[in-house]
Amino acid sequence: MALLFWVSAFVVCYVYAGYPLCLAAWARINGRRPRTQAPAAGAWPSVSLVVAVRNEASRLAGRIANLLDQRYPGPLEVLVVSDGSDDDPASALAGFADAVRLIERPRGGKPLALNAGVAAARGEILVFADARQRFAPGAIEALVSNFSDPAVGGATGELVLDCERAGARAASTVGDGLGLYWQYEKWLRRRESHIWSTLGATGAIYALRRTLWRPLPADTLLDDVLAPMRAVLAGYRLVFDGRAVAFDRAAPDAATEARRKQRTLAGNYQILALEPRLLVPVVNPVWLQYMSHKVGRLIVPWALLGLLVSSIALARSGWFYAGVVALEAAFYGLALAGAWLDRRASRPPAAPAVPIDLPRSAPEAR
Amino acid sequence: MTSVRRLARVAFTFVMMNYAALAGLASLGRRRGGWR
Repeated sequence: MALLFWVSAFVVCYVYAGYPLCLAAWARINGRRPRTQAPAAGAWPSVSLVVAVRNEASRLAGRIANLLDQRYPGPLEVLVVSDGSDDDPASALAGFADAVRLIERPRGGKPLALNAGVAAARGEILVFADARQRFAPGAIEALVSNFSDPAVGGATGELVLDCERAGARAASTVGDGLGLYWQYEKWLRRRESHIWSTLGATGAIYALRRTLWRPLPADTLLDDVLAPMRAVLAGYRLVFDGRAVAFDRAAPDAATEARRKQRTLAGNYQILALEPRLLVPVVNPVWLQYMSHKVGRLIVPWALLGLLVSSIALARSGWFYAGVVALEAAFYGLALAGAWLDRRASRPPAAPAVPIDLPRSAPEAR
Repeated sequence: MTSVRRLARVAFTFVMMNYAALAGLASLGRRRGGWR
């Protein structure tokens, strides 16, 4: 039982504290930032912007206007793939004439919609975006400038949630925790990128060389992790660029966030089945980071359970274990109080629009 | 009081997000590709 206790404690401490500390030291000692250089005028690569949608007609006009306002300095095409929408996306896009190509296909899921968009794309660089978020000015230019480094196969931007803003947390009952978690997660991604490669992209804003795209299986849960990680397995870097910013809202409540998180973590299990090479050292150039960050997150809940069970079993054997039980009781009690607060909070009304006016005019350095 | 509430919310989010991995594993077999 003592072994279970110490192994569990090590896993939890390593994943949430040990690994970030090692990462910070590693990035400081041996950081390799991408050799980004903005191409000369007229030399920017062609870009295909792929937006897969289902029943997003009410958001489409605003979203496309936001994308076209980017004023990317090179050739740009915008492809909207409608996955069996029944809200008439063609009418929503009618005002954009030839600036947007609409591809309508029968309902088959987002992965197949993305496959269809990429198959129709002609650009050297694919940029993926969703209908709900908004890009900050210059986001596409910042993303694409990373490809001047031939080692870079993909680039992911920074998604900024409204709950990260001081005073904006009331919009989500889980905004406090979610804001902290997301800032912590981006801190990790930035350092993983400095070392070599981050371990997945943010679906709301990422870019990939078209030559590196492989069609996604129809049941893919995390297209924004599978597609970029295939590029990493092919030997390319996936960089995190904090200059390319997209804005989004946090989930309004715990139930919504829990569903999203379940899906994300189920997707992480699924990716191990789809790409078992990720678990092989040497084959996966970011194996240590992958095991510590992604696989570690899958193991932590088991370790938390192991810690709880073993510490209770060992509580009578000494004050140390009894103290750990007391700490765990306090922590889970606090979490129960948090659950009660979440349940008590009235569901906030849907925000009228994605906050595109976040005070983020000066993008931070990578 | 506000900071205790905030701490409680953060603790709840931490627990919820971690144990979502177990629920995610349980639901994996019946999931299909879809929209996030």
